[in-house]
Amino acid sequence: MNALEVQDLGYRYPDGTAALRDVTFAVAERERMALIGPNGAGKSTLLLHLNGLLPEHPDVVPAVHVFGTPVAEPHLAAIRARVGLLFQDPDDQIFCPTVWEDVAFGPLQLGLRGADLAARVERALDQVGLQGFDERLPHHLSRGEKRRVCLAGLLACEARLLALDEPTSDLDPRGRRELKRLLESLPVAQVIATHDLELVVELCPRVIVLDRGGVVAQGPTAELLADEELMLAHGLERPHILRHRHPH
Amino acid sequence: MLRALLEPYHHQRSAIHRLPAGLKAGGALAFALAIVLLPRAAWTAYAAAGALLLLLAGLSRIAPVALARRLLLVEPFALGVALLSLLQQDGLRVFAATLTKSTLCLFCMVLLSSTTRFSAILRVLWRIRVPSLLVTTLALMHRYLFVLADETGCMLRARRSRTFSRDRASAWRSSASVIAHLFVRSSERAERIYAAMCARGWKT
Repeated sequence: MNALEVQDLGYRYPDGTAALRDVTFAVAERERMALIGPNGAGKSTLLLHLNGLLPEHPDVVPAVHVFGTPVAEPHLAAIRARVGLLFQDPDDQIFCPTVWEDVAFGPLQLGLRGADLAARVERALDQVGLQGFDERLPHHLSRGEKRRVCLAGLLACEARLLALDEPTSDLDPRGRRELKRLLESLPVAQVIATHDLELVVELCPRVIVLDRGGVVAQGPTAELLADEELMLAHGLERPHILRHRHPH
Repeated sequence: MLRALLEPYHHQRSAIHRLPAGLKAGGALAFALAIVLLPRAAWTAYAAAGALLLLLAGLSRIAPVALARRLLLVEPFALGVALLSLLQQDGLRVFAATLTKSTLCLFCMVLLSSTTRFSAILRVLWRIRVPSLLVTTLALMHRYLFVLADETGCMLRARRSRTFSRDRASAWRSSASVIAHLFVRSSERAERIYAAMCARGWKT
């Protein structure tokens, strides 16, 4: 069974602007797939559909299925427990007074209490390298640390599909390297929307190019990202890492 | 500056800081209740209460200037309420008593917030079953005050870096537009926060 199936997904903003048009793709279990495209291509809007935050008024025929379950009422609670969504701005995502409470928010909603909850939170903080940050206040953290707290909040829910919106955007090279290693080690399906094309090459075997709300290409990363014409036509560029790779 | 005022708590190791938050919050509430219920002319009792607070402030080893500055920041509100009482009969006495009572209560709260983490106070409120909507609102307000303060700072700095005239009218206009932007940004952020809460299972 595929982790994610999106079939003919379309979406218009309340003001009528088309944001997504006929988007169709699938992500296999444990597969890592990149979502690339210029600013305003609809990447973030697409990710919001993956756990039912959009559309505001669910369609009669759901266009998105997660592990076979349609993303629509009455399945939304189950869907949101399975899909971990990393938002672009960490300040939107960390809304609790302390780091510990924020990471515990998801598991609490899932009904975990006491020692189980504490163990879950501790493990998630451990995974992102934030041991001992329990009592730290969100506004005392650096952007990179905030990013990792957000990620810990998703890991604590034990999501089986991660939808990550620009996960490396605030990270310094070390933070980026650690995040890459962490994502590599997670045995869950991942959809990564990003402008960090080097990361795409290093992490994702498959890529989708989105522009003006539509899928313009999807296929093997090495092939698509090496296509200079395609990349330039959609506000992207051929990453350096591929320029230095010569076919032998 | 704004941050320093918003964030009174500093990690110190005085005996007062170490006391359990529940005890301090309960004590502060009892103190405030007692002050409110005292008869209007109980000046010796007021003096004793003030002395008690000063003693606690001394024990907490917080710089007196910092405490005084925070107290002065909230004092206008107390003064405003007290001023209204001047309009009634025997106004001066009522004014003096109201001002004294509210100053004592405010000082007590300043002391509490300077020696106790806000998150710890929230946990106490949660434990004694204060309605969760209220606690959540307080928690979110405290969390995003800092984000807002930072955002305001950034916007003002950006404005200043592109302001070349000393024209007062244009300065007012630009402040007004910063405030308007802040409202728009806050309401957009509120929507995104709510989405982030739902994404992690809130109310589904």
